[in-house]
This record gives sequence, structure tokens and C-alpha cells, in this order.
Amino acid sequence: MIEIKLVVNEKPYTLNVEPSERLIDALRNRLGLLGTKEGCGEGECGACTIIMDGKTVNSCLVLAAQANGSVLTTIEGVGNRRSPHPVQKAFVEVGAVQCGFCTPGMVLSAKNLLDKNSHPSETEIGIAMSGNLCRCTGYDKILRAVKIAAEEGKQ
Amino acid sequence: MKKRGIGLGCSWYGTGYGNGFPDVSSAFVEIHDDGSATVLTGAVDVGQGSNSIFAQIVAEELGLEAQDICVYSGDTDATPDSGTTAATRQTYNTGNAVLKAVRQAKSSLLVYAAREFSCPTPEGIELKEGYIGVKGDPSRRVPLADLVFQARLRGERFISAESSTARSTPVDPETGQGAPYWPYSFGCQSAEVEVDTETGVVQVLKVVAVHDVGKALNPTQVEGQIAGGVTQGIGYALLEELELDEGKIKNPAFSSYLIPTALDVPNIEAFFVEDAESTGPFGAKGLGEPAMLPTVAAIINAIDDAVGVRITSIPATPEKILKALAEKNGEVNR
Repeated sequence: MIEIKLVVNEKPYTLNVEPSERLIDALRNRLGLLGTKEGCGEGECGACTIIMDGKTVNSCLVLAAQANGSVLTTIEGVGNRRSPHPVQKAFVEVGAVQCGFCTPGMVLSAKNLLDKNSHPSETEIGIAMSGNLCRCTGYDKILRAVKIAAEEGKQ
Repeated sequence: MKKRGIGLGCSWYGTGYGNGFPDVSSAFVEIHDDGSATVLTGAVDVGQGSNSIFAQIVAEELGLEAQDICVYSGDTDATPDSGTTAATRQTYNTGNAVLKAVRQAKSSLLVYAAREFSCPTPEGIELKEGYIGVKGDPSRRVPLADLVFQARLRGERFISAESSTARSTPVDPETGQGAPYWPYSFGCQSAEVEVDTETGVVQVLKVVAVHDVGKALNPTQVEGQIAGGVTQGIGYALLEELELDEGKIKNPAFSSYLIPTALDVPNIEAFFVEDAESTGPFGAKGLGEPAMLPTVAAIINAIDDAVGVRITSIPATPEKILKALAEKNGEVNR
């Protein structure tokens, strides 16, 4: 077992993890943060996207031990029912959620884009969201929601 | 060189299992003494939004809001079978079962209310904005919750169980004639593409999709299903190739079986035509599968329009397009 220290959604944790343990498993099984979804488990679909030290990562491709000393944001750290993040608000408003399995990863990719670039172009939005696969929505309303969230951020 | 073209595709598609296969949906409904209602149905909402549709149907019928309706679905321990979430059938088939069920529960409520309001017939009672009372007389109405509460104290319950069977007859095996499906959905889509003649890569620039949905019970969901269908159609036309080797899938991963990403989707303009289907719940019929069908034909036709080659097997991969272009140019040079 390896001892790691990390900050998840602004709370510090010390965990004992297996050397081969993936970050997604540490988040889901040790911390009970079930909002992070495992889709393909091979870094293609983006359902397990989280923000690690300001960058989006596929948490299925990161070892928990590699996250030692990192600051992480999962979907549980982004808004809540009473006070949703502008991206979440826009997703609800335009109807960008169908089955919802890709949604946590989509929201985190969009949030990270807007944190870094509050005035993204349509192409920049497309590129930022292209690592997250969605089979239901056709991306149309998701991309529109990110655009709306970006516009609201400008005001 | 990059060349652009426009193509058109049309589709018609039968709702339900078809060909005489028993296509049955069922629902239980209870109207409660807090002014809410519960629907139990086996229909599974996989994200297409059937639970919202059933809540809307019940709310519409009882003069309530959709959020007043609890839809409990997809539990084989507790809900009556409503078949699979497939064949573009849940809004139409289970929607019909839910509508029949809520109308049955409502009919006993109306009989009770007519007695309470000394109204000569149940037809004189209406449910509106959470109230129940005599039609056209706002002074003679009470909150639905109060009436159902009073009724409960007297031992009355407003509970129903109903099922709905779709119309379908098997086709004659000799002649192929018959009426396998009812109803049919119709759609038409137009695609603009850009074909790179050097690489064979096709980029879809725009898709305009128009679908006949009977009645759009939830327009946001209709738009979402059209955009989702178009995107699956783009994958079907250009990317998605299931490779089999002696019945085993050779590419069971997103790294080898490619589906569209946010960068592959064009601007999608979705429109719907509302031509009420008399046998559907409030005129609605199915849209799930039909939305992806015309896309393929529209894209293949657009490729033909752009570079003059006819692709006859999908997906239209860059390799196939380059081969077709080389064959065409060979013919021209000869």
C-alpha cells in the first residue's frame, strides 16, 4: 500500500492505495464519489473526466499514486441543486442531458475550458468537448449549453 | 481539392414490433389524496425521456403539473410489463397504455365528483389547475387533493390497470402483402458535405432534418432525438464499421470502432411536422429510430453530388472514396 495525500473538491484526504489502483477506483470506492463514471476504461470516452491540477484527465488512465499531492475536482465539487454551476444551469435549460452517463465528464470539460478561456470560439468549444463521447444527444444541445454558459460568464 | 455537394434522403418507418407480433404495453395509475398521481409501468427510460412523457400525459389528463406525477418504471418486481424500449414504441405504445389507465382512474373519480357536486353527469366535471369541479362554474370547485382525501375517508380509491395492444397483422408469406405496422413515421433530411479528393475524408457541414412526429409532446426531447439520430446517422454513413471474424467482433472498443465526436457533428437544424396520429396518445407517434435513417442516404447522395462517385457500401471510408475516385478517373483517362 502507498500513502498519498490529495485535495478533492477542496477537502484534504490521506489515503492508502494499492500501487496498481486507478484514480477512478480510489475516487469511487474509497471516497464514495460515484459521480465520476467509468465508460470504456481505456481513455477513449471521457466519461471519467475529472480536473487534476487545472487539467482535465481521464481518471481511468491515472494511477491513484500518481495523484499524490494533486488538487482534484470531481462533479461533486461543481455546483449543487440549489446553486448549480453556470454550465450545469445551461445544460438543464437547453435539455443537454439525455441518458446522463457522459454528463459529469462533459460538465467538467466545459468548466475547465471556461475557467481557462472565458471567451471560447465555437471551434475551441468543439475541441475542448471532443474528448467526451456522447451517444444520445448528437452533441448539439451540449455545445449550445457550453456556448450559453460562456456568454453568461461574460456578463 | 475540396469539393462540396448536397444530398437528400427520405424515410418511412413503422412504429412497434410489427408483423403481427404481440405488442403490448401496460400501466397502473393511482390518484392520491395529496393531489398527486403515481404511474407504474415496465417501460424503461434509457434517457430518451419516456418517464417525462408519461408524467406529461397523466398531468394533462388530470389537470395537474408534470412534477405532480411520480413515474415508477422498469422494475420487474413491481411494474407491469410494457415491452422493450426499442422499435420506436414507448411514447406511442406505452403512452397509449398510460393514457388508457389514467382515463380509467379518472372516470371513477368523475363519477364520485358528479355525486359530490350534484352534477347530473360525470361529463359535467372537469379537472383543471389542480382543482376538480363543475365545468364552467368556478364557484363550484375544490382542490383535487381535498376531494380525493374525502373520498378516501369514505373508502373510495381511484386506481386503474390498463394495457394497450398495437395494431399489427402479419404479412402474407406468399405475397408479402399485409399491414405489419401502425403507425408509420416519415422523415426527410438534407446534408451538405465537403469531400477532400486527396485524402477521401468527408466532412459533414450541415444537416437539415424534418420529421413527422404526429404531435411533439415534448419539443425539447424531439429536437434532442433528432440531433442524436442525425449524429448516429453520420457515424453509420462515415465511421462505424463492425468488423467480424468468425462471428467475433474484432473491434469492440472506442479506439477501433469510431463513433462521432463533437468535432464530427455539423450544424443540425431540426424541424418537426405535427400531423396528429388519431391512434396515438394526444396524436403522438414514435421518432427514436427514424431520426437516423435518412441521414445515411442524404450523406451518400451528397458525396455523389460533390465528386460524382456512387458509394454502395457503408461506412463511406476515405479508402472507399479514394478507390471510387481512382476508378472514375481511370475510366475518364481511358
